[in-house]
Amino acid sequence: MRYSYIKPAPKTALSKDMQLLFTFFSVTLFMLFLTYGFLLFRDYRFEQNRAELIQEEQDFRVSIEEMKSKIAKIEEQNILSERVFTKNIVLKDSIHNLFDLVPARITLSKAEIMQNGLVLYGITPNKDIYNFMLQAPLRSIFHRTYSSFYPLKNGWFSFVSTNYIDEESNDEY
Amino acid sequence: MNISRQHIYMLLLSLVLLTFVLIFSFAVLIPNGKEYRVKRADLKKEYRKLKQLNDFSDETSATLQKLQADHRHIITAFDTPFVVSRFEKQHRGFFSSLKLSKLEKKENEDGFSVYEVNTTSEINSPKSFYKFLDAVNKSDWIVAINFPITFKRDSEMINSSFTMKVYSNNKDVKISSENNSHSELDSESKQKN
Repeated sequence: MRYSYIKPAPKTALSKDMQLLFTFFSVTLFMLFLTYGFLLFRDYRFEQNRAELIQEEQDFRVSIEEMKSKIAKIEEQNILSERVFTKNIVLKDSIHNLFDLVPARITLSKAEIMQNGLVLYGITPNKDIYNFMLQAPLRSIFHRTYSSFYPLKNGWFSFVSTNYIDEESNDEY
Repeated sequence: MNISRQHIYMLLLSLVLLTFVLIFSFAVLIPNGKEYRVKRADLKKEYRKLKQLNDFSDETSATLQKLQADHRHIITAFDTPFVVSRFEKQHRGFFSSLKLSKLEKKENEDGFSVYEVNTTSEINSPKSFYKFLDAVNKSDWIVAINFPITFKRDSEMINSSFTMKVYSNNKDVKISSENNSHSELDSESKQKN
Protein backbone atom coordinates (compact mmCIF):
# COMPACT_ATOMS: atom_id res chain seq x y z
CA MET A 1 0.00 0.00 0.00
CA ARG A 2 1.35 3.36 -1.03
CA TYR A 3 1.09 6.31 1.34
CA SER A 4 2.62 8.93 -1.03
CA TYR A 5 1.98 9.92 -4.60
CA ILE A 6 5.60 10.90 -5.30
CA LYS A 7 8.47 8.58 -5.94
CA PRO A 8 11.01 8.69 -3.06
CA ALA A 9 14.41 10.01 -4.08
CA PRO A 10 17.30 7.81 -2.99
CA LYS A 11 19.31 9.44 -0.15
CA THR A 12 23.05 9.68 -0.82
CA ALA A 13 25.87 11.00 1.32
CA LEU A 14 26.89 13.35 -1.54
CA SER A 15 24.03 15.65 -2.06
CA LYS A 16 24.14 18.16 -4.89
CA ASP A 17 25.23 20.86 -2.48
CA MET A 18 28.04 18.70 -1.21
CA GLN A 19 29.14 17.88 -4.76
CA LEU A 20 29.22 21.57 -5.58
CA LEU A 21 31.19 22.24 -2.42
CA PHE A 22 33.69 19.49 -3.14
CA THR A 23 34.10 20.61 -6.73
CA PHE A 24 34.72 24.18 -5.64
CA PHE A 25 37.29 23.23 -3.00
CA SER A 26 38.89 20.60 -5.20
CA VAL A 27 39.50 23.18 -7.91
CA THR A 28 40.73 25.70 -5.32
CA LEU A 29 43.06 23.22 -3.67
CA PHE A 30 44.30 21.94 -7.01
CA MET A 31 45.17 25.47 -8.07
CA LEU A 32 46.85 26.18 -4.75
CA PHE A 33 48.98 23.04 -4.90
CA LEU A 34 49.75 23.67 -8.53
CA THR A 35 51.01 27.15 -7.66
CA TYR A 36 52.99 25.74 -4.77
CA GLY A 37 54.47 23.06 -7.03
CA PHE A 38 55.35 25.71 -9.59
CA LEU A 39 57.06 27.78 -6.90
CA LEU A 40 59.00 24.77 -5.64
CA PHE A 41 60.09 23.89 -9.17
CA ARG A 42 61.14 27.48 -9.93
CA ASP A 43 63.02 27.59 -6.63
CA TYR A 44 64.88 24.42 -7.59
CA ARG A 45 65.66 25.86 -11.06
CA PHE A 46 66.84 29.14 -9.53
CA GLU A 47 69.23 27.28 -7.29
CA GLN A 48 70.51 25.30 -10.26
CA ASN A 49 70.93 28.44 -12.40
CA ARG A 50 72.55 30.27 -9.54
CA ALA A 51 75.10 27.49 -9.04
CA GLU A 52 75.82 27.47 -12.80
CA LEU A 53 76.16 31.26 -12.81
CA ILE A 54 78.53 31.21 -9.85
CA GLN A 55 80.62 28.55 -11.57
CA GLU A 56 80.67 30.53 -14.83
CA GLU A 57 81.53 33.70 -12.92
CA GLN A 58 84.36 31.88 -11.18
CA ASP A 59 85.64 30.55 -14.53
CA PHE A 60 85.50 34.05 -16.02
CA ARG A 61 87.38 35.50 -13.06
CA VAL A 62 90.08 32.84 -13.29
CA SER A 63 90.40 33.35 -17.03
CA ILE A 64 90.52 37.16 -16.64
CA GLU A 65 93.21 36.84 -13.95
CA GLU A 66 95.24 34.55 -16.22
CA MET A 67 94.89 36.98 -19.13
CA LYS A 68 95.82 39.92 -16.89
CA SER A 69 98.94 38.16 -15.68
CA LYS A 70 99.84 37.33 -19.30
CA ILE A 71 99.33 40.99 -20.28
CA ALA A 72 101.49 42.11 -17.36
CA LYS A 73 104.18 39.61 -18.39
CA ILE A 74 104.14 40.79 -22.01
CA GLU A 75 104.32 44.42 -20.90
CA GLU A 76 107.24 43.58 -18.64
CA GLN A 77 108.96 41.73 -21.47
CA ASN A 78 108.29 44.65 -23.79
CA ILE A 79 109.74 47.19 -21.36
CA LEU A 80 112.83 45.07 -20.75
CA SER A 81 113.40 44.35 -24.43
CA GLU A 82 112.96 48.03 -25.32
CA ARG A 83 115.53 48.86 -22.65
CA VAL A 84 117.94 46.25 -24.01
CA PHE A 85 117.44 47.37 -27.63
CA THR A 86 117.93 51.02 -26.70
CA LYS A 87 121.06 50.12 -24.74
CA ASN A 88 122.46 48.28 -27.75
CA ILE A 89 121.70 51.22 -30.05
CA VAL A 90 123.26 53.70 -27.60
CA LEU A 91 126.30 51.43 -27.36
CA LYS A 92 126.59 51.32 -31.12
CA ASP A 93 126.37 55.12 -31.34
CA SER A 94 128.94 55.51 -28.55
CA ILE A 95 131.43 53.23 -30.31
CA HIS A 96 130.70 54.98 -33.60
CA ASN A 97 131.32 58.38 -32.01
CA LEU A 98 134.50 57.13 -30.36
CA PHE A 99 136.03 55.92 -33.60
CA ASP A 100 134.91 59.11 -35.35
CA LEU A 101 136.66 61.10 -32.64
CA VAL A 102 140.06 59.63 -33.39
CA PRO A 103 141.85 61.74 -36.03
CA ALA A 104 143.44 60.04 -39.02
CA ARG A 105 146.95 60.92 -37.89
CA ILE A 106 146.57 59.05 -34.62
CA THR A 107 146.49 55.26 -34.75
CA LEU A 108 144.78 53.30 -32.03
CA SER A 109 146.17 49.93 -31.03
CA LYS A 110 143.65 49.12 -28.31
CA ALA A 111 140.47 50.58 -26.89
CA GLU A 112 138.74 49.49 -23.70
CA ILE A 113 135.21 50.82 -23.33
CA MET A 114 133.84 50.52 -19.82
CA GLN A 115 130.64 51.59 -18.12
CA ASN A 116 132.17 54.77 -16.75
CA GLY A 117 135.37 55.08 -18.66
CA LEU A 118 137.47 54.66 -21.72
CA VAL A 119 141.09 53.61 -22.05
CA LEU A 120 142.80 54.22 -25.36
CA TYR A 121 146.20 52.90 -26.42
CA GLY A 122 147.84 54.15 -29.59
CA ILE A 123 150.57 56.06 -31.32
CA THR A 124 150.73 59.73 -32.26
CA PRO A 125 153.31 61.62 -34.37
CA ASN A 126 153.69 64.19 -31.58
CA LYS A 127 152.09 65.28 -28.34
CA ASP A 128 150.50 68.40 -29.82
CA ILE A 129 148.46 66.46 -32.33
CA TYR A 130 147.27 64.20 -29.52
CA ASN A 131 146.53 67.13 -27.18
CA PHE A 132 144.61 69.21 -29.72
CA MET A 133 142.95 66.57 -31.79
CA LEU A 134 142.14 63.82 -29.33
CA GLN A 135 142.56 64.94 -25.75
CA ALA A 136 140.52 68.16 -26.20
CA PRO A 137 137.35 66.37 -27.36
CA LEU A 138 137.87 63.64 -24.77
CA ARG A 139 138.09 66.30 -22.04
CA SER A 140 134.74 67.71 -23.14
CA ILE A 141 133.14 64.28 -22.73
CA PHE A 142 134.85 62.85 -19.65
CA HIS A 143 135.30 64.39 -16.20
CA ARG A 144 138.79 63.05 -15.60
CA THR A 145 141.35 62.46 -18.33
CA TYR A 146 144.87 61.19 -17.78
CA SER A 147 147.48 60.73 -20.50
CA SER A 148 150.85 59.03 -20.50
CA PHE A 149 153.38 59.16 -23.34
CA TYR A 150 156.21 56.80 -24.17
CA PRO A 151 158.70 57.88 -26.87
CA LEU A 152 159.25 55.45 -29.72
CA LYS A 153 162.41 54.90 -31.76
CA ASN A 154 160.98 56.60 -34.87
CA GLY A 155 160.25 59.82 -32.96
CA TRP A 156 156.54 59.11 -32.52
CA PHE A 157 154.91 58.63 -29.15
CA SER A 158 153.01 55.74 -27.78
CA PHE A 159 150.21 56.96 -25.51
CA VAL A 160 147.75 55.65 -22.98
CA SER A 161 144.69 57.81 -22.45
CA THR A 162 142.54 57.00 -19.43
CA ASN A 163 139.21 58.78 -19.19
CA TYR A 164 136.49 58.55 -16.57
CA ILE A 165 133.00 59.88 -16.05
CA ASP A 166 132.18 60.45 -12.38
CA GLU A 167 129.63 58.00 -11.04
CA GLU A 168 127.14 60.65 -9.80
CA SER A 169 126.92 62.45 -13.12
CA ASN A 170 126.75 59.17 -14.98
CA ASP A 171 123.61 58.25 -13.06
CA GLU A 172 121.88 61.28 -14.46
CA TYR A 173 122.06 59.97 -18.01
CA MET B 1 15.11 28.20 12.76
CA ASN B 2 15.24 24.77 11.32
CA ILE B 3 18.74 23.82 9.99
CA SER B 4 19.26 20.29 8.96
CA ARG B 5 22.18 18.27 10.24
CA GLN B 6 23.48 17.85 6.68
CA HIS B 7 23.66 21.59 6.27
CA ILE B 8 25.56 21.91 9.53
CA TYR B 9 28.10 19.33 8.34
CA MET B 10 28.43 21.15 5.07
CA LEU B 11 28.98 24.45 6.81
CA LEU B 12 31.60 22.95 9.10
CA LEU B 13 33.40 21.31 6.18
CA SER B 14 33.33 24.56 4.25
CA LEU B 15 34.77 26.40 7.23
CA VAL B 16 37.54 23.82 7.71
CA LEU B 17 38.48 23.86 4.03
CA LEU B 18 38.35 27.64 3.85
CA THR B 19 40.56 27.90 6.92
CA PHE B 20 43.01 25.47 5.34
CA VAL B 21 43.00 27.46 2.10
CA LEU B 22 43.58 30.71 3.94
CA ILE B 23 46.32 29.33 6.20
CA PHE B 24 48.03 27.59 3.26
CA SER B 25 47.87 30.75 1.17
CA PHE B 26 49.10 33.16 3.82
CA ALA B 27 51.60 30.88 5.56
CA VAL B 28 53.07 29.07 2.55
CA LEU B 29 52.15 30.48 -0.84
CA ILE B 30 52.51 34.20 -0.26
CA PRO B 31 55.96 33.96 1.49
CA ASN B 32 57.12 31.55 -1.19
CA GLY B 33 55.86 33.89 -3.89
CA LYS B 34 57.71 36.80 -2.34
CA GLU B 35 60.84 34.70 -2.09
CA TYR B 36 60.39 33.71 -5.74
CA ARG B 37 60.25 37.38 -6.80
CA VAL B 38 63.36 38.21 -4.75
CA LYS B 39 65.24 35.25 -6.18
CA ARG B 40 64.18 36.16 -9.72
CA ALA B 41 65.48 39.70 -9.20
CA ASP B 42 68.73 38.32 -7.73
CA LEU B 43 69.15 35.99 -10.65
CA LYS B 44 68.65 38.86 -13.10
CA LYS B 45 71.31 40.78 -11.21
CA GLU B 46 73.64 37.78 -11.43
CA TYR B 47 73.00 37.53 -15.18
CA ARG B 48 73.82 41.23 -15.59
CA LYS B 49 77.00 40.75 -13.56
CA LEU B 50 77.93 37.73 -15.66
CA LYS B 51 77.34 39.72 -18.83
CA GLN B 52 79.57 42.49 -17.55
CA LEU B 53 82.24 39.92 -16.69
CA ASN B 54 81.82 38.36 -20.11
CA ASP B 55 82.24 41.75 -21.80
CA PHE B 56 85.29 42.51 -19.67
CA SER B 57 86.72 39.08 -20.44
CA ASP B 58 86.21 39.73 -24.17
CA GLU B 59 87.92 43.13 -23.86
CA THR B 60 90.84 41.64 -21.93
CA SER B 61 91.12 38.81 -24.43
CA ALA B 62 91.17 41.30 -27.32
CA THR B 63 93.87 43.34 -25.55
CA LEU B 64 95.91 40.20 -24.92
CA GLN B 65 95.58 39.04 -28.52
CA LYS B 66 96.60 42.46 -29.81
CA LEU B 67 99.60 42.53 -27.49
CA GLN B 68 100.56 39.00 -28.49
CA ALA B 69 100.30 39.90 -32.16
CA ASP B 70 102.20 43.18 -31.78
CA HIS B 71 105.01 41.68 -29.70
CA ARG B 72 105.22 38.21 -31.18
CA HIS B 73 108.95 38.53 -31.80
CA ILE B 74 109.69 39.59 -28.23
CA ILE B 75 107.47 36.89 -26.66
CA THR B 76 109.09 34.20 -28.78
CA ALA B 77 112.54 35.57 -28.06
CA PHE B 78 112.01 35.32 -24.29
CA ASP B 79 110.78 31.72 -24.63
CA THR B 80 113.53 30.54 -26.96
CA PRO B 81 116.40 28.78 -25.18
CA PHE B 82 119.74 30.28 -26.10
CA VAL B 83 121.74 27.96 -28.31
CA VAL B 84 125.38 28.98 -28.59
CA SER B 85 126.02 27.30 -31.92
CA ARG B 86 122.87 28.77 -33.45
CA PHE B 87 123.84 32.28 -32.35
CA GLU B 88 127.31 31.77 -33.80
CA LYS B 89 125.82 30.51 -37.05
CA GLN B 90 123.45 33.47 -37.34
CA HIS B 91 126.03 36.16 -36.58
CA ARG B 92 129.20 34.65 -37.99
CA GLY B 93 128.80 36.76 -41.13
CA PHE B 94 129.63 39.95 -39.28
CA PHE B 95 132.96 38.65 -37.98
CA SER B 96 136.01 36.92 -39.35
CA SER B 97 135.74 34.66 -36.36
CA LEU B 98 133.28 34.48 -33.51
CA LYS B 99 133.58 32.40 -30.37
CA LEU B 100 131.19 32.26 -27.47
CA SER B 101 132.09 30.78 -24.12
CA LYS B 102 129.71 28.65 -22.09
CA LEU B 103 126.59 30.30 -20.74
CA GLU B 104 126.64 31.22 -17.09
CA LYS B 105 123.49 31.76 -15.10
CA LYS B 106 123.44 35.14 -13.38
CA GLU B 107 121.08 36.46 -10.74
CA ASN B 108 117.54 37.12 -11.85
CA GLU B 109 116.88 40.62 -13.10
CA ASP B 110 113.40 42.17 -13.05
CA GLY B 111 111.93 38.69 -12.72
CA PHE B 112 113.76 37.32 -15.76
CA SER B 113 116.56 34.79 -15.93
CA VAL B 114 119.83 36.26 -17.12
CA TYR B 115 122.65 34.30 -18.68
CA GLU B 116 126.03 35.80 -19.38
CA VAL B 117 128.23 34.73 -22.22
CA ASN B 118 131.75 35.91 -23.03
CA THR B 119 132.41 36.60 -26.68
CA THR B 120 135.65 36.93 -28.59
CA SER B 121 135.64 37.90 -32.22
CA GLU B 122 137.70 39.24 -35.06
CA ILE B 123 136.51 42.03 -37.33
CA ASN B 124 138.12 43.84 -40.19
CA SER B 125 136.24 47.09 -39.67
CA PRO B 126 134.18 48.66 -36.86
CA LYS B 127 131.30 48.82 -39.36
CA SER B 128 130.91 45.06 -39.02
CA PHE B 129 130.49 45.53 -35.31
CA TYR B 130 127.79 48.18 -35.86
CA LYS B 131 125.96 45.82 -38.19
CA PHE B 132 126.27 43.08 -35.57
CA LEU B 133 124.71 45.36 -32.95
CA ASP B 134 121.81 46.11 -35.29
CA ALA B 135 121.36 42.41 -36.01
CA VAL B 136 121.42 41.47 -32.32
CA ASN B 137 118.25 43.52 -31.79
CA LYS B 138 116.50 41.46 -34.44
CA SER B 139 117.86 38.08 -33.36
CA ASP B 140 115.91 35.16 -31.91
CA TRP B 141 116.86 36.10 -28.34
CA ILE B 142 116.88 39.20 -26.14
CA VAL B 143 120.57 39.94 -26.01
CA ALA B 144 122.22 42.95 -24.39
CA ILE B 145 125.83 43.73 -25.22
CA ASN B 146 127.64 44.61 -22.04
CA PHE B 147 130.64 46.57 -20.95
CA PRO B 148 133.58 46.23 -20.91
CA ILE B 149 134.20 46.02 -24.63
CA THR B 150 137.77 45.74 -25.78
CA PHE B 151 139.05 46.35 -29.30
CA LYS B 152 142.63 45.41 -30.00
CA ARG B 153 144.42 45.89 -33.29
CA ASP B 154 146.16 42.81 -34.61
CA SER B 155 147.81 43.74 -37.94
CA GLU B 156 144.85 44.27 -40.34
CA MET B 157 142.25 42.78 -38.02
CA ILE B 158 140.61 44.00 -34.83
CA ASN B 159 140.14 41.55 -31.99
CA SER B 160 137.10 42.38 -29.95
CA SER B 161 135.91 40.88 -26.71
CA PHE B 162 132.77 41.65 -24.80
CA THR B 163 130.11 40.03 -22.66
CA MET B 164 126.52 39.54 -23.63
CA LYS B 165 123.52 39.16 -21.36
CA VAL B 166 120.80 36.85 -22.62
CA TYR B 167 117.36 37.37 -21.05
CA SER B 168 114.75 34.66 -20.88
CA ASN B 169 111.56 33.92 -18.97
CA ASN B 170 112.10 33.05 -15.35
CA LYS B 171 111.72 29.31 -15.53
CA ASP B 172 114.05 26.38 -15.59
CA VAL B 173 115.61 27.00 -18.95
CA LYS B 174 117.60 24.14 -20.33
CA ILE B 175 120.95 25.68 -21.11
CA SER B 176 122.06 24.38 -24.43
CA SER B 177 125.63 23.45 -24.94
CA GLU B 178 127.18 22.94 -28.34
CA ASN B 179 126.72 19.17 -28.14
CA ASN B 180 122.97 19.18 -27.80
CA SER B 181 122.32 22.29 -29.82
CA HIS B 182 121.68 20.39 -33.04
CA SER B 183 119.12 18.10 -31.47
CA GLU B 184 117.32 21.13 -30.02
CA LEU B 185 117.35 22.81 -33.37
CA ASP B 186 115.89 19.68 -34.91
CA SER B 187 113.12 19.51 -32.33
CA GLU B 188 112.33 23.20 -32.83
CA SER B 189 112.09 22.81 -36.57
CA LYS B 190 109.82 19.78 -36.06
CA GLN B 191 107.58 21.84 -33.80
CA LYS B 192 107.39 24.61 -36.38
CA ASN B 193 106.45 22.07 -39.03
